[in-house]
Amino acid sequence: MKSELKFPMLVLALICLGGGLAAYKSLRLGVPFWMGEQSYNWQIEARVSFLANGERVKARLALPPAAASKDAGQESGSLGYHYNIERDGDESDAVWSAENREGGQALYFRVRLPESIESGAEPVPGKAEVDGATIIQGPAGEAARAIVARLKSISSDPDSLFVALFEQINDEQKPQDFVLLKKHYAKEFMGNPMIRMGIDLLEMAGVPARMAYGVNLNEDRGSQSPLPMVEYFDGTAWKVRNPVEPGVVPNSRNLFVWHRGEGPLLDVNGGENSRVTFTVVKDRIPLASLTDLRDSPLLVATILGLPLSERAVFRYIVLIPLGAFVVVVMRNLVGMATLGTFMPVLLALAFLQIPLGRGLVMFGVLIGVGVWLRFLLSRLNLLVVPRVAACVVIVTMLMMLMSVVSYRLGMTGGVQITLFPMIILAWTIERMSLIWEEEGRRSALVQVGGSLLVAVLAYLFMRMGQIQHWAFYFPELLLVLLAGILMIGRYTGYRISELFRFRTFAGG
Amino acid sequence: MESAMNEIRAPWWHRWLMTPRELREQGVVGINMRNARYLLPNNPRRLYRLVDDKLQTKALAEERGLSVAKTYAVIRSPHDVAKLEATLKNHESFVIKPARGSGGRGVLVIDGREDGKYFKPSGSALSGAELRHHVSNILGGLYSLSGQRDVAIVEYRVKPAELLTAISYQGAPDIRIVLFHGYPVMAMLRAATKESDGRANLHQGALGIGIDLETGCTVRAVHHGKVRDIHPDLKVPLLGVKLPEWERILDIAVTCQEMTGLGYLGVDLMIDEELGPLMIEVNARPGLAIQMANGVGLLKRLEPVVTQHKLRPGLGRAGKIAFSRENFRA
Repeated sequence: MKSELKFPMLVLALICLGGGLAAYKSLRLGVPFWMGEQSYNWQIEARVSFLANGERVKARLALPPAAASKDAGQESGSLGYHYNIERDGDESDAVWSAENREGGQALYFRVRLPESIESGAEPVPGKAEVDGATIIQGPAGEAARAIVARLKSISSDPDSLFVALFEQINDEQKPQDFVLLKKHYAKEFMGNPMIRMGIDLLEMAGVPARMAYGVNLNEDRGSQSPLPMVEYFDGTAWKVRNPVEPGVVPNSRNLFVWHRGEGPLLDVNGGENSRVTFTVVKDRIPLASLTDLRDSPLLVATILGLPLSERAVFRYIVLIPLGAFVVVVMRNLVGMATLGTFMPVLLALAFLQIPLGRGLVMFGVLIGVGVWLRFLLSRLNLLVVPRVAACVVIVTMLMMLMSVVSYRLGMTGGVQITLFPMIILAWTIERMSLIWEEEGRRSALVQVGGSLLVAVLAYLFMRMGQIQHWAFYFPELLLVLLAGILMIGRYTGYRISELFRFRTFAGG
Repeated sequence: MESAMNEIRAPWWHRWLMTPRELREQGVVGINMRNARYLLPNNPRRLYRLVDDKLQTKALAEERGLSVAKTYAVIRSPHDVAKLEATLKNHESFVIKPARGSGGRGVLVIDGREDGKYFKPSGSALSGAELRHHVSNILGGLYSLSGQRDVAIVEYRVKPAELLTAISYQGAPDIRIVLFHGYPVMAMLRAATKESDGRANLHQGALGIGIDLETGCTVRAVHHGKVRDIHPDLKVPLLGVKLPEWERILDIAVTCQEMTGLGYLGVDLMIDEELGPLMIEVNARPGLAIQMANGVGLLKRLEPVVTQHKLRPGLGRAGKIAFSRENFRA
């Protein structure tokens, strides 16, 4: 083949392959190509893990009624296990069993629920008998009785009692008797002592109560432990509440109650260290095509064939090439100067995880203080690598300081900044102060500003819903992106900045 | 009358930019074009190390009998740094530069010394400790292309010819010649200004002065992209200065191309009062500002060279120089 033809052929092949795969997926398998085409589903995956001790194993996971119904798409992944759903009245369990299992085991239960699910916390009419509350001995018991008496005096019904109780438990400043009781429970119970304490106190006050478990409907959480909740009987019906926000009725926009009622959430026979974790994903693919996708050849299935917990990781990874593309466009077509080639991509990734405004402020403060400290450091005449390492230490401490300060000021988001690329920041500080010394302040600010602008543009690009949709559901479109990058790589025309740079060329 | 005015007046957008088409007509080469069309095909990767390490370039040049600034010392280790002052005690003036630096980064010029203080051309003083710190920064790779470890070269401080110091503010002007396939295609003189602080980088405010390849006379000067006839600080005329030994300068440039084998390169020279033209360094990625200084697009020089190179591939150095001087007059 002629060498001039090789390049266009390669680009064409990439575009055809990527576009073809995407078209096949969209037209044949019914994966929606545009974001708005389909309402989404919640896909919740429960992952049960435990250490089997070599004998007969039986694991039982309680299921929410919405998940047990026939039309909820459900499946379980568990190689070599016998699996079935057991129903007993309203309650149903997923049951896995196998012989002679040893070592770490992982069982999956996946369910798809429509966007409009109910939170599962609705009052359920029923009966409950008060079966004599737990008796606590000693001074802790005294304290408990005092608390119950006080709560009863200020509340009129089980609902207000519940709210008053958990507001006190959540309150930072507790009365003396609470502190005493809290110590007692913290010693007696390993998991969720505060909630157990609340349940016992409710029972002592004559309100039947028990544990319930929920799932946060939040994609960003990755894999999460079951959210402990409390179910109590108000005289006619059972209600579920989140003890962290006792006054709020759980809402299906952010919370789904997985398990309520009698019995444990998870029960494993023949294994130890058992635990269940949940992963939540918003899915836009119709159920039928998802099964087709999983069964289709490797190239088509891509990341959608993975368990949810592993898929969640890719939410950010598939965006990195998009950021790189923005950098290529900004540098080679526009001609923007940046500090470090791909520093803006890392910065943009960090912006994706914290609100943009706060990210910019943080970047500004870190760089500003960092450069200032770097000037102080340069007076000490340090060698290069130790100086950058010192910068890393300073940046880390600055970030801690900022977290603490923002937390004190009531901005909880400050805590998420661990993802800020610190080594990159330290190098940025180093290079910026170098340029500052060598070429002057203007040049340094222009380059940092350029990097920041590119980072914000990359962030805005990566944040677009449609772009994320394509990147995640049609990763083969990355081949088209690759073709685009290759073409820019062969572009020999002027950069936009050069039109400006050479503007005095003719007359002067 | 009015129609005549309109013809003279530049289009309104020239205040902000030129269209790609206009630039193309002027033959301006952009960075993308320079890289894709001239650098990548003609400068094989393996040759870069010859010019990225100034020690190697100097060794090559000396083999060919070119005159270069004499190396006083090479500082390779922290141990060498510790005895730096002892090494330098016999030299009144010198230049310290990183072997792998680029764009003049990390170059320190010392003009004189007194009581253990070292003076830069601008008159500011450095202590011995500051000098050593600068050298250990060089060794740590602060100025090298990819942050790799480096060595520092201490060499002869060029005493620029009178003619050239007259048009440069506190700094030795250097001559840049761009060659393609061994043909000199464009030349400029870079002179420092008060703003550029003794440096010769155009974007830091140095003057770019275009040189006629035939005669070696300065023909056009730009400061921040604007045409100037006189030096902004020294108020002396910049045009019509004839560089001495122009033939020898061109000859040195072509020799540099032959010894490195690079297809597209820039050669930097300085003219010493006593020693004449000295080769300072070879640059495998010469910048594009030279077009601004000359007011001529590089493409107008590069394309004839491509044709000529195809026509007469084995032309000797004399033939190449003659071709350039003949065809690339200002």
